Amino acid sequence: MPPAIETNDLTRSFPSGVALDGLTLEVEPGEVLALLGPNGAGKTTTVRLLNGILTPDRGRASVLGLDPAIDGDEVRRRTGVLTEHAGLDERLTARENLTLTGRMRGLDRRWVERRADDLLERFGMAERAHLPVQGTSTGQRKRLALARALLHDPDVLFLDEPTSGLDPAATRDVIDLIGALASEHGRTVVLATHFLGEAGRLANRMAILHRGVLHAFGRPEDIAADLWQGVDADLDLGGPVSAATADGLRTAPGVLVVADTPTGLLVRVADREVVPRLVRSLVEQGLPVYGASAKAPTLEDVYFAVEARIAIAEGRTAGPPPTDVLSASVPVPS
Amino acid sequence: MNRHVMRAIIAKDLIAVRRSKAVVIPMLAVPALLMIVLPLLVGWAARSQQNPDLGRILGTMPGDLARPILNLPQHEQLVVLVNGYLLAPLFLIVPLMVSAVLAADAFAGEKERKTLESLLHLPVSTRELFFAKLLTAFLPAIAVSWIGFACFCLVANGVAWPVMHRVFVPTRLWLVMILWVGPAVATLGLAVMVRVSARARTSQEANQLGGAVILPLIFLAVGQSSGLLLVPLPVAMGIGALIWLVALLLVRGGARHFTRDQLAAKV
Repeated sequence: MPPAIETNDLTRSFPSGVALDGLTLEVEPGEVLALLGPNGAGKTTTVRLLNGILTPDRGRASVLGLDPAIDGDEVRRRTGVLTEHAGLDERLTARENLTLTGRMRGLDRRWVERRADDLLERFGMAERAHLPVQGTSTGQRKRLALARALLHDPDVLFLDEPTSGLDPAATRDVIDLIGALASEHGRTVVLATHFLGEAGRLANRMAILHRGVLHAFGRPEDIAADLWQGVDADLDLGGPVSAATADGLRTAPGVLVVADTPTGLLVRVADREVVPRLVRSLVEQGLPVYGASAKAPTLEDVYFAVEARIAIAEGRTAGPPPTDVLSASVPVPS
Repeated sequence: MNRHVMRAIIAKDLIAVRRSKAVVIPMLAVPALLMIVLPLLVGWAARSQQNPDLGRILGTMPGDLARPILNLPQHEQLVVLVNGYLLAPLFLIVPLMVSAVLAADAFAGEKERKTLESLLHLPVSTRELFFAKLLTAFLPAIAVSWIGFACFCLVANGVAWPVMHRVFVPTRLWLVMILWVGPAVATLGLAVMVRVSARARTSQEANQLGGAVILPLIFLAVGQSSGLLLVPLPVAMGIGALIWLVALLLVRGGARHFTRDQLAAKV
């Protein structure tokens, strides 16, 4: 099956500088891709290029087999976009925002009216259907904008910062909605965000952008495998252990790094099969082992490790510290 | 171009304009003042004056303009001078003003309300978008202008009936000006304003930028329109055609240079 989205060396500049520089990636049909990065990373520019409202300076893109720079209208007919600012006309009612968008899409008036009513019901906006958008909460606007993006049942959904400006409860609602939408009809979703929580919950793969350059692309575990050698394991020994015990583990086969924790040791091992051998060795030494669990790196671990690598490459101080203890003692891989 | 899509864009914008008191009130108040209140006051003044002497005023005017009025009975001169000639320039200002206000809002207003990006993400061709925005400004301008003129004719003839005892407006030249030259002037103004609006960040900025172009046009229109009522009919038609030609060339140039990328880059 051909990729739903494909970019090759996609590049775009503005008078203020390069917004996207040589982006090359593929998104499979039905996949949720998270475009991650801080403000100014090039996420919104990517969405605009993929939907054909900006044209690239260099490189090309393909969305559903079409080139957005050439067949922009056809691409936009099959995609739905939730922009960062919901982009609703405040002077119109919630229902009018949907029905008029449908008519601007060239859809049949009666069909659009029925579809709008269904979506308003589904997104919990039926009671506000005939009220002007002015006066609705940010969460309600996002839901309405999401309904508008789905009006024509698009094959590809671009979501640009879908939860920005929302309170925690509204964020959860919107994420739940997006999760449900992503699993419907094998829809491909591109989620541009700087919130790792929603990316972690929704995305199959992630692309980390920084100042327009793609620094990592893939499943979090695959990126982690590139970033770190081995697996972390937390050994609960009921309290701190002696230096001799820790030194003993350091020389054990398959152990890469050992660090003290208040409840025992945190070890990085070559692979997960090393963990049972370490437990057996500790038990043989008469130490109580209350728990031993291998820890897969979280999306946050991966993201901040990539950010740290970028910071080092750019010769500046890394941003927020990595969440895992071992990163402090292990050089960040290049 | 898909007419249904263009109609939907126009409908959306006009519904939104209709609900915006800040736009509707000045858009209707000024034409009401110029086309209803003013002729009403002039008509009353003419009725209350007994044979006013306009000799000195008419003496300062060009002979071609003064002669037809001087040929009228003295009691008809004031009402014909003011309602038949001096108010004429205002009928070019109205479509120009309404179309300029709406055209300034066309893209700059969308940027200001942060709705432009969602509009650009729709499968609407650039030409459809450009011409729909043009028509959104043009149609209300012409509607206000023509309805206003119909009101003006009713009021001017009604209030002056005791003096004139006949319908004196519209003349054929008036009709040429309202139906042919007015729309041409409106198109000329909005062709400029839509381009300005696409470049400006807010409608206020668009109005300020456009003022540099629109205001001189207004003064030009005001200056020339009185004379338009004195020239032979074919000449008036020719002047209208010339304005149409310039306006349509500007519209064509605007449509050619108008790109989605240019708008999206400024969102």
